[in-house]
Amino acid sequence: MTTTQRKKIIGLTVNEETYELAVECQETLLDVLRNNLGLTGTKEGCGTGECGSCTVLLEGEPILACLMLAVECENKKIETIEGQSINGDLTPVQEAFLEKGAVQCGFCTPGMVLASTDLLKRNPDPSKEDIMESLGGHLCRCTGYNKIMEFVHHAAKLNRDNT
Amino acid sequence: MYLPKFTLESPRSIEEAVSLLGSGEQTKLLSGGTDLFPRMKYKLCSPGVLISLKGLPSFPPQIDEERKLIIDANISLTAITLSPEILEKAPLLALAAQKVATREIRNMGTLGGNICQETRCLYLNQTHTFQFTEPCLKRGGKECYFAPKGKKCWATFMSDIAPTLFCLNASVIVAGLDGEQQIKIEEIYTNDSLKPLSLKPDQIITKIIVPKTQSPSGNGFAKFTVRKTIEFAIVNVGVFLETEKDLKTCKKARIAVGAVSEGPQRALEAEDWLAGKSLSKENINKVSQKAASSLKIIPHHGYSKKYLTECLKIQSKQALNDAVEGLADQSNRGR
Repeated sequence: MTTTQRKKIIGLTVNEETYELAVECQETLLDVLRNNLGLTGTKEGCGTGECGSCTVLLEGEPILACLMLAVECENKKIETIEGQSINGDLTPVQEAFLEKGAVQCGFCTPGMVLASTDLLKRNPDPSKEDIMESLGGHLCRCTGYNKIMEFVHHAAKLNRDNT
Repeated sequence: MYLPKFTLESPRSIEEAVSLLGSGEQTKLLSGGTDLFPRMKYKLCSPGVLISLKGLPSFPPQIDEERKLIIDANISLTAITLSPEILEKAPLLALAAQKVATREIRNMGTLGGNICQETRCLYLNQTHTFQFTEPCLKRGGKECYFAPKGKKCWATFMSDIAPTLFCLNASVIVAGLDGEQQIKIEEIYTNDSLKPLSLKPDQIITKIIVPKTQSPSGNGFAKFTVRKTIEFAIVNVGVFLETEKDLKTCKKARIAVGAVSEGPQRALEAEDWLAGKSLSKENINKVSQKAASSLKIIPHHGYSKKYLTECLKIQSKQALNDAVEGLADQSNRGR
């Protein structure tokens, strides 16, 4: 049976909490996270998939929330930057970001943190090339990327020390 | 930036999707959305109905009894790079998929979507506010700004994957109101920037078929960009070399080039020249020159024809060298 959707009530699981929302089908996941759920950690940079600042994890894989329809995320697990720390305890990736001072204006930071988390999950000891490849879709207009490279290496070390 | 309003249809079968697609002109297919949504946000198209292909039954890449590789058109680009079947039977496809955009976009984008993407142009892919007072030819106006007073659209076709499917002699299975048909990948491109695909309004690409290859083979793919990642190619080249058993003599070459014209192109003259010759450095140099000089090259995104021709020579050589190096590795492993 074909389902025609204009406005639909959907269940979204964001950071392990389930929300029931009425969304229009043209609303992107980014629109819903920011406007309906108030999760403004996910940023809108370009809105067309070029900057990576709207990156979230969908079923554990990084995707661009600005190019994903919210209605198509129903019953899928979404993680945003707000869900990374637990009870105020930062993850090793976030700790490394702070320690290495890889933040200036902070606009690209949520996307960078989530993409790095994904990278370190797949590759606990990434090379410089691996980092450049994985974070290639994330634009930073402040840091010049050196600090960001340092932070991923440092996060990898913290992760290894923790385990 | 918000998307314009539309209605979303989520068919559960190809037949449903085809009947929905055939029901009106204001419909478009939604697969990964990474090409369509930016164009909708730039108001380059405003379909009233989107037909999502995400709910269709999917299947992992398969090798059939005739040793052909059958790939679901809805497979994500990341899944292409990880599939053991594709890595075994069509590693060239995985090489190209790995070079597309970024990890996030590869997680979302699909094979079918990549080969059916729209043509791009510096004047076109932006909001109208940044364009001229009148829309350009492809946007519905009367003039191509790239070639002032031009009545032809000069947008270029940027897919990284389509040239590799040309190299692999692939076909696509197309479903439509008239049923399914298998057509060669070359036939789906029109070489017309205004309408780059020859598919009818009711047709959907459902599968990609890569035939079995007979000889030992080498694969090479080169993509030239300024920033190495998240960028469309300045030029891309796919190379597939079938060799004699010595792995050093070319039996048949397939060289395809993308991002420099209205559609992917085969470098037929260069391919014919290399067939039967040794894969020596000298011959690779010569064939790279021939490939660059025999193809149609449109200046695009600020790069001149002369610059693109030089890039094409270098990238062809790179892809050919990669293919030859792969063959040398096979030879070493065989010893």
